[in-house]
Amino acid sequence: MTVTIVLQQAINGVVLGSLYVLVALGLTLIYGVLVQINFAHADFVTLGAFAAYFFMHLVGASYILSIGVAFSVGAILGWMINASIFTPLRRKGNELLPLIATIGVSVMMQNLMLAWFGPIPYAFETQYSNQVVRFAGIFVSWQNVIIIIVSSMTIALLYAFMKFTFLGKALRAVSQDHETAGLMGINQNQLIMLTFVIASALAGMAGAMLAPVLVLTPFAGTSVIVKAFAIVIIGGFGNVEGTILAGLIVGLIESYTTQFLDPGLIDIVVFALLLLMLAIRPTGLISERREENV
Amino acid sequence: MSRRMKYLLAALSVFVLPLIFNDTYWRTNLTICAINVLLTLGLDFILGYTGQLNLGHSAFYGLGAYVSTLLIVKLGVPFWVAFVAGIGFAGLAGMFLSLFAVRLRGHYLAIASLGFAVIVYQILLNWISLTQGPLGIYGISPPPAVVIAGRVVADFRSLTAFFYLVSGFTFLVYLLLNQLVRSPVGETLTAIREDEISAASLGINCAAWKVFAFVVGSAVAGAAGCFYASFVGTLVPDAFYVTEAFNVLAMVIVGGVGTLIGPVFGAIFLTLLPEVLRGVGDLRLVVYGAALTFVVLFMPGGLIQAAHLVREKLRPSGPAS
Repeated sequence: MTVTIVLQQAINGVVLGSLYVLVALGLTLIYGVLVQINFAHADFVTLGAFAAYFFMHLVGASYILSIGVAFSVGAILGWMINASIFTPLRRKGNELLPLIATIGVSVMMQNLMLAWFGPIPYAFETQYSNQVVRFAGIFVSWQNVIIIIVSSMTIALLYAFMKFTFLGKALRAVSQDHETAGLMGINQNQLIMLTFVIASALAGMAGAMLAPVLVLTPFAGTSVIVKAFAIVIIGGFGNVEGTILAGLIVGLIESYTTQFLDPGLIDIVVFALLLLMLAIRPTGLISERREENV
Repeated sequence: MSRRMKYLLAALSVFVLPLIFNDTYWRTNLTICAINVLLTLGLDFILGYTGQLNLGHSAFYGLGAYVSTLLIVKLGVPFWVAFVAGIGFAGLAGMFLSLFAVRLRGHYLAIASLGFAVIVYQILLNWISLTQGPLGIYGISPPPAVVIAGRVVADFRSLTAFFYLVSGFTFLVYLLLNQLVRSPVGETLTAIREDEISAASLGINCAAWKVFAFVVGSAVAGAAGCFYASFVGTLVPDAFYVTEAFNVLAMVIVGGVGTLIGPVFGAIFLTLLPEVLRGVGDLRLVVYGAALTFVVLFMPGGLIQAAHLVREKLRPSGPAS
């Protein structure tokens, strides 16, 4: 009995964790290239969820297709916001201003969504929510199977992109050393744009898959992003492998805390772990050696 | 204009304000402004003078509010004792976080303090036997009236008296912090902000001073929390969610970080902006977000720098003051 519960919650944890990974990877990529925290990232998650919802309900399209739509909406909006606001700000060379701008953009997006979609939570149900696969006493909904397949494929693709393609290598080069990468003829602005678009697209896509779990309101992304920040730190800022590992750990913590302790304690446990990590290993689970310029 | 004149002028305008705005709505806003100014002063001391990016200011605000209120409601402690206790507790919490965070830099500190704020918020929300969680605490009474020789001098049930109380305290904090940042202590702190390693090489104990700034800033936030609780009369954890910390941060940056007067105007500007925008209806917070974004886009030094620029344009020949 207990073994089944532990296994059942392990699956739930991995499902949740893989979605957190998608959100946190975007944050960590942006941080790696820009050394900047992006608070508006939360709203790409929410927007992706709404995009998928309306695409399913208004167009009547399938759920899988609407995940793709959420991906594209995230990408397009990420491009627009980076081009119109963050790029001009970066030229001013101050690190606090872009941070505040991301807060401003976040307030703007949340309240635009509030004006359009209203404060009442949307019930996001897909045709896969109630179809259940059963094996060895464990229940897995098709919804969760889809989430695991789609997110693990996306993460694998992103990982391969970062490791093996020229652009991915350029991206890592920029996050290791801006100036030297620039000297090697890498166009930083294009890469920053690319990072932003990928990150926002991932967030949008994660939103479409998180929506059935979340209470879908215009402010739904905030609770996710707060955990994503914790994941980014636990994994080590800018570190892709660490982020994947940390995301899965946080997903598991969440499902086990819900099962064995109290759902209200999730954030406390996650952030206590974060503070502990910062005290013991501030460089994250898998640390890269980084020299600091004096 | 000498500094003393400026202080006098500021005191005078604080005195006149509630007389000009004599309806309940605007007097409430004035007091909220004063509380927010107090919050920004605390954060600016931490961020602007030692360069520690604190995203958890809402935690100290909330702790001040809850500790003082619980002492009053549960233990019947007199208001001013609870007020001091609230400030002390917020300061201690700041010391705890900063002792722990003192070796963290930049964004690590930012996320650590954000995490601290999330934990405090969740504790306020989930420790229902103590804080009543999301139901909140109701009917918190204002500070007791000041009675001298049998005559009521100030009754804080009146909005005007409460405004004078908060703005008077804020003014005092401003004066003290202003003295502090212009003293050698202030120079030490800015030296740490500009370059910690060079400061350490001059024999400055950076860690100790960073903790000091953090304690002062969070204690000031605690005071703001005490005033908030007794002013609004109800306490719910949602008032101290992390977005409140972002709001205060925005006020500091929009006003002009690293000056004390800038955040004062930033707080007033961003507190009143959503109120002035009520005419826009549902879209007012959209306009607020847009305004926030545009201010940082086009006025990178904040309101204070924009004011300096305007003054220089008006007086092209005179020396910049």
